[in-house]
Amino acid sequence: MSGMDKSPNQQPLGAATTADDFSVRLFEVMKRINEGIEDLELYEFRYALDNLIPEAGWDAVTLEGQEEIEQRVRNCDFFTGIQLRPRAGGRIVLDESIVCLNRMLFAGMVNGTYPEEWIRALFYFDLRGFYFVPRTVYFTDEVRAHFGNKPYRCFEAKQKRFERYQELGYKDFKEANAEIDQAFIGCVRQVILARGSPMLITLAGPTASGKTEITERLMTAIQEIGRKVTTIEVDNFLLDREYRDDKPMGKESTHFDLFLGSLKVILKGEKIAIPRYDFVNATSSHDINSKLKAGCTPLEIKPADIIFMEGNFPFHIPEISSLIGLKAVYLTDDPIRLKRKWKRDIDYRKKYDPAYFRNRFFRTQFLRGEDIYRPLMKGCDIIADTTGATLWVTPELVELISLD
Amino acid sequence: MANLILKDLNVFSETLYEKMKQINPGISDLELYEFRYCLTDLLPEKGWDSVKFDSRIEIERRVNSREFYDGIQIKPRLGERVVLDNPIILLAQMLFVGLVTGEYPPEWIDRHFYFDIRGFYFLHRTEYFTAGVLAHLGGRPYKNFEQKQKGFERLQAVGYKDFMRANAEVDELFMKSVNKIIAFRGTPILLAIAGPTAAGKTEIVERLRIAFKQAGQNVTSIELDNFLTDRDEREAKGIHSEGRQAIHFELFKRSLEDITHGKKVSIPYYNSVNGISSHNLDGSLKPDGVPIEIVPADIIFMEGNFPFLEKDVLHLIGLKVVYLTDDPIRIKRKWKRDIDYRKKYDPSYFRNRFFKDQFIMAQIAYLPQMETCDMTVDTTGAALWTTPEIAAILRKGK
Repeated sequence: MSGMDKSPNQQPLGAATTADDFSVRLFEVMKRINEGIEDLELYEFRYALDNLIPEAGWDAVTLEGQEEIEQRVRNCDFFTGIQLRPRAGGRIVLDESIVCLNRMLFAGMVNGTYPEEWIRALFYFDLRGFYFVPRTVYFTDEVRAHFGNKPYRCFEAKQKRFERYQELGYKDFKEANAEIDQAFIGCVRQVILARGSPMLITLAGPTASGKTEITERLMTAIQEIGRKVTTIEVDNFLLDREYRDDKPMGKESTHFDLFLGSLKVILKGEKIAIPRYDFVNATSSHDINSKLKAGCTPLEIKPADIIFMEGNFPFHIPEISSLIGLKAVYLTDDPIRLKRKWKRDIDYRKKYDPAYFRNRFFRTQFLRGEDIYRPLMKGCDIIADTTGATLWVTPELVELISLD
Repeated sequence: MANLILKDLNVFSETLYEKMKQINPGISDLELYEFRYCLTDLLPEKGWDSVKFDSRIEIERRVNSREFYDGIQIKPRLGERVVLDNPIILLAQMLFVGLVTGEYPPEWIDRHFYFDIRGFYFLHRTEYFTAGVLAHLGGRPYKNFEQKQKGFERLQAVGYKDFMRANAEVDELFMKSVNKIIAFRGTPILLAIAGPTAAGKTEIVERLRIAFKQAGQNVTSIELDNFLTDRDEREAKGIHSEGRQAIHFELFKRSLEDITHGKKVSIPYYNSVNGISSHNLDGSLKPDGVPIEIVPADIIFMEGNFPFLEKDVLHLIGLKVVYLTDDPIRIKRKWKRDIDYRKKYDPSYFRNRFFKDQFIMAQIAYLPQMETCDMTVDTTGAALWTTPEIAAILRKGK
C-alpha cells in the first residue's frame, strides 16, 4: 500500500541530496543512457530505484576514479567474485559488488563525475533488471584482423528497435534477423557444396544468441540440397556433475578422448556409440574413465554427409579444431540476449529466481567471452553477428565460395 | 482420436496452442516452442491423458465458493522454491485438456475464466457488477466511452503510461464530476476512494490532489492503515487487516467527525515495518508513541481497500468512490509494477496470491462498498457509474 508520494523517504535528515531530488535528476540522465526509461513514469522509475537506495543516502556513496572502474570490469577476478545466491532475509538478492557498482554509476552521473559517453561505452543499462552490466567486447582487433578487418556482408541493424524493449520474444527477434540469417544459411550451403563430405560443422554462441533456432533452419536448408545431416549434442559428453566442479565446457569437464575418437570415426563414415547425459540426475552413462556404466546404454549415431554440433564447447582447441570443416559462431550482443532471456527463461520457463538470474548473467558474460568466444572467434571461419547485422567470413573462405 | 492427442506431448501442445489463440489472442505472439516452454511447468506427471475432468457445474460451483479460495496456499514449496499451488495447477490442467478434447466449449471457458499469459494460468473472472450493485447504480452507467483497455489484450504486462492513456476519457469525466459534487456539497469534504490492488487508486488520487491544489484548495489525506492496531494483537485474534476490529475504530470515527468539522486531529501512527501502532488497544497513546497531526483542509482524501466499509462512518464521508479496473488488467499492471519494477515478490507466490485474493476481496470489501458508493469508475469498461442521486447533481451542474 505504499503510495508513490511516500516511497523515497529513506534519506537521513539534513542530507544534501534528498532521495526525491536525486531520483528526479537521475531519471532525466537515465533517459539519455537508455531511451526505454522514457516509457516509465517517474514513480515507476522510483519503484525500481528503491531497491538500490543506499542506507546512508546518495551523498554517502564513495566514487572511484574512471580508470579504477575500467580496470575492475576488465578483470576476471571481479566477475569470479560475484556471488550467485547471496541472501538477505530469506530472499536471494543482487550481489553486493553489483549493487555498489550501480550506486556509484548512478551517483557519479547525477553529480557529473562520470561522463555519459564513458558510461555508455563501458556499460549498458538493462531496464528489466534495472542495473548496469559491463559490455562484453567480442570483436577485438585480433578477431577483426582474422576476418580481413571488414565484414563480408552488412545489413540494416534492425535489432536497434529493441532498445526500448524490456524483454524480447522470438517472433520479433527472428523478424529482425531475417536478412543476416538468410545470408548466413546461404553461405554455409555454399561451403558445403564447395567442399566434400563427410564434413563436421560446429556452431557456437553465447546463451540466448539464437543457436537452437538457426540450427533447425540450417538443417532444413542442408537437407534441401540433398545432404544427409546428423547432429551430435556435445552435452552428451559431459562428465557426471560431481566430477566437473563447475568447470566450463572443455577438456576437463567431458569424456574428451572418447569425444575426439568418436568424431574421427564418424568422419570416416562409420556409426558411433556415444555417452548419454541425463540432465535430470546430472549423470553420464559413462564413468570417469569413459567406460559404460553397468545398466546404461550408449547413444547410437549413424553416419551422415554433414555432422552438426551445436553448443558452447571451445571448438578452437587444436585437437578438435583440426577435425572441423566449418567453424561458425552465431553471436547476439549481450543487451539483446539478456532481453531474450527475461522473456524465455524468466517469463516463459520460470526457470530461475530473478535475482539469481541477474547475478548470473552479470557474472558469466565476461568470463565466457574470455574463455570461449574471443579465442574461438579469432580462429573460426564464419561469424553471424545478428545485432550488428554483419556476416564475417575469413578471406580463405571468401575465396572458396566466390570460386563456386 | 482425442485419446491419441492426449498421449502425444507434441501433438497435444500443438493442438492446445491453436485452441488457446482463441481464448487469448496474445498467444499468437508466442512461437510454438515458447508456448511449450511455458506449458512444461504444468505437464501432469502421468501425462495429459491422466487428467480427470470435473463437470462444468462442479467447476462453476467450486470457483464461486469462498472455501476454494481460502484453501489456496500462497507459499507451497517444492524443494527450496515456491511453486504454484496444486488446486490452481489442477484447474489449469483440466481446462487445457477439456479445451483440447472439446469437453469444455471455449465460450464457457471464456465466460468464467481469463488466461494470464505471463503467469500462464487460468483465473476465475471476478464479478463486480452483481444484481445488487447494478440496482444501486441505477442499472446502467451514467456515461461510457470507447474501451481502450481492449488494446492491452495481447500485452503480457502493462505500465502506467499506457494505462493512463487508455483511461483518459473516463478519468477526465470522473475528475470533473468530483469537482461538481464538491461544489454542490461544500467543503470541508471527506473524499473516500476504494478499489482493488493496482486498479489505479493512488495515481488518480494524485491527479485529483494536484488539480485541487491548482484550484487553490487545501488538501490532506488520512491513511486508513495508520489506524491499524498492533499486528501481534490482530494475528493472535485471527483478524487480518479488514473491518472495525482491526483498527482503533472509535479513534477513527472521532477523527473523521473532527476533521470534517474543520478541526485539527491527532491520529495514530502505524509502523508497517514492525507492525506496531503508536496507540494501545483502548485507544490511549503509548508512552513512547508519537501520533500524527493532521491540520484541517478543504478536501480530505481517504484511500485504501476499505475506506467506507463501516456503516457507522458512512454519514461522515462526502463522496464515496470505487475506482475499479478488471482483474486481467490489474494482474498485468502488477506484473510490471510489483514484479518487474519493484521486484517485490517471488513470481509464484504472486501468482498464488493474486488467484486467491480477488474473489475474497470482492466479497468482503468491494461488492459491499459498491453497494453503498456514490460513484464507481470502471476503467476497463470505460464507464462512470453513479447513484441516481449523484446523476441528478451532475445533470443539474451542466
